[in-house]
Amino acid sequence: MSHNGARNLFIFGSLLCFAVLIVLTIDTIGTLDERAPEITEAVNAGKKVWHKYDCIGCHTILGNGSYFAPEMTKAVVRKPKEYLKKFILDPRTINPKAAMPKLGLSEEEADNLIAFLDWISKVDTNGWPPEPILTAAAGKGSSMGQTLFKKHDCSACHQIGGLGGTAGPDLTHIGLEKPDADWHIRHLKDPESVVPGSAMPAFAHLSDEDLRELAEYLITLK
Amino acid sequence: MQYESQKIAKNFYTAAALLFLIQIVVGIVAALQFIWPDFFFLNFNTIRTLHINALVVWLLVGMMGATYYVVPEESETELWSVPLAHLQFWATVVAVLLVIVGYIVMGLFPQANSMIFGTLLLNEGREYIEAPRWADWLIVISVLLFLFNNFMTIMKTKKFTAVQGVLLAGLTVLALMYLPGMFYTKSMVMDQFWWWWVVHLWVEGSWELIAAALLAFMLHKLLGADKKVLAKWMYIEAGLVLITGILGLGHHYYWIGTPKYWLWVGGIFSSLEPIPLLLMVWDAFRITREKRGVVQNRVGLFYTVAHAIFNFVGAGLWGVIHTLPQVNKWTHGTQITTAHGHLAFYGAYVLLILAMIYVTLPSIRGVKEFDQSKGYLAFWFMTISMVFIVISLTGAGMVQSYMERLLGLDYVTVKTSYNMWFWVFRAIFGVGFLVGVLIFVIDFFTLGKKSAS
Repeated sequence: MSHNGARNLFIFGSLLCFAVLIVLTIDTIGTLDERAPEITEAVNAGKKVWHKYDCIGCHTILGNGSYFAPEMTKAVVRKPKEYLKKFILDPRTINPKAAMPKLGLSEEEADNLIAFLDWISKVDTNGWPPEPILTAAAGKGSSMGQTLFKKHDCSACHQIGGLGGTAGPDLTHIGLEKPDADWHIRHLKDPESVVPGSAMPAFAHLSDEDLRELAEYLITLK
Repeated sequence: MQYESQKIAKNFYTAAALLFLIQIVVGIVAALQFIWPDFFFLNFNTIRTLHINALVVWLLVGMMGATYYVVPEESETELWSVPLAHLQFWATVVAVLLVIVGYIVMGLFPQANSMIFGTLLLNEGREYIEAPRWADWLIVISVLLFLFNNFMTIMKTKKFTAVQGVLLAGLTVLALMYLPGMFYTKSMVMDQFWWWWVVHLWVEGSWELIAAALLAFMLHKLLGADKKVLAKWMYIEAGLVLITGILGLGHHYYWIGTPKYWLWVGGIFSSLEPIPLLLMVWDAFRITREKRGVVQNRVGLFYTVAHAIFNFVGAGLWGVIHTLPQVNKWTHGTQITTAHGHLAFYGAYVLLILAMIYVTLPSIRGVKEFDQSKGYLAFWFMTISMVFIVISLTGAGMVQSYMERLLGLDYVTVKTSYNMWFWVFRAIFGVGFLVGVLIFVIDFFTLGKKSAS
């Protein structure tokens, strides 16, 4: 290749690629609205809260950001909103082991932030993040109680045998710690009445039968 | 050095060296916070912001210094205005200090980061471009003054050499590509779309142009290689960097809410990104072999060749391993990215600026011979430490991808138990890296001074 040929490759090759990028950019921007829900005032206010507290300094969102704290794109899918709100307002009273400091958000800011997280969880991300293969494979449990445990995604917050979230207490040996099935039923119906300050949402909407099955399963965990 | 005004480069190098030291000290704090989150009085987000911003700024300042050295030499004339260069230097330093103070204030009092005229006062809350809008404008003005001064210098003699053509093209694109990060959008998808224009078209576009130009400059200066041959290969490298890199931007658009065709565009083009970087390695080796024996500044050449190698390994290989959508689906947003980021920045840009300093500082200080031993010592401390940091992070990333993404374990479980040793190793080698940086900084301030006295 001659000197001028090399120079032309540099100038025209890069200009051509840049022109293609412009075309693709225009096309992409035109499709974004269809690929995401409407942006309400609360969602926009929540996005501003996200920026104000520099959340990206620890978390990732859409997989981009800092890798110090959990990915936030599906936060509202993985954790109940009631829990998230209490946690954001004062992380360490909800989970003493949390690394997140109390940043001083107001109630309104927390609500808006959750509206924003709810919005982002509904964006069409071409299937990212993919469902883990183990979760996908383990669809049904071996007992009715275990099936209910999976159906209501209890492992989003609770671990059994190392698998599951860390937002709530580890349930691996819960049958030893709380061997009373009735205690579990009362707790599931209204967590705060049994454990003051609990951030766990109530499961009072479950039928008595389902609550009994779930409680019977929990006390087998020893 | 033939021109008195080239000495202005030293001011920029000094600022770069000091910011480099700050960057690594806060980097170690961040590494320790992975083990003890409450280790320091500032939270991790503030520390990380300081770590990555100090990096970006010292590399930019280093590039500016290098340009002020290269342009008079290539144009064969004094700089158009030395006072303007001084003004631009001090304005940059003051703006950077103000931004740093702002970050620390926000770290202590999060509520202080309030909305003023529709923008956040202290921190924009966007990775890498955290600097608030008022600082963005100061940065733009500083870069425009800098570009203006260099263009006017070129216009004095109108010697349009290939090296300064590509160098100034890279710097101009750099200035332009800062603009897509300077407006607010309601949609986080749109936000990240334009944000990647800034971040990607900087580090995998304009910065690589600057690297290609400076590599050619250094190979000529060190080895007296033929300018015409150097220029031809520089054009090919720079051309391929942009042809693969511009559309390689697509590898950031797989999962952020953008259409599916980016999986094809990004996958294909970004897979080709290592090719120009490999060419640069070949280029550096070929010329070095041809001209071996005539080199006086061996440590300068050493850094130059090391830059070419680690640019290829860090930016090229460590990038390409997770650039295909099929792989990236599982690794996106894990420590694999951190590993790639560390080795890429070190190889592509840290070693580039250090190489430029070792190539040009002796002549700025007016010495031909100088004690090169500290330069080598600093290199080995930094490079061995960085390699082990990257191995630790890659290990952590593999464990994280497998356990969290593939098996479905909780993020916090994987971070606080399974990956703990990786964080410990990373922190230990971080200290090793700091030792290397300290040796470099001492060498920077003392180089050539003994033999001169």
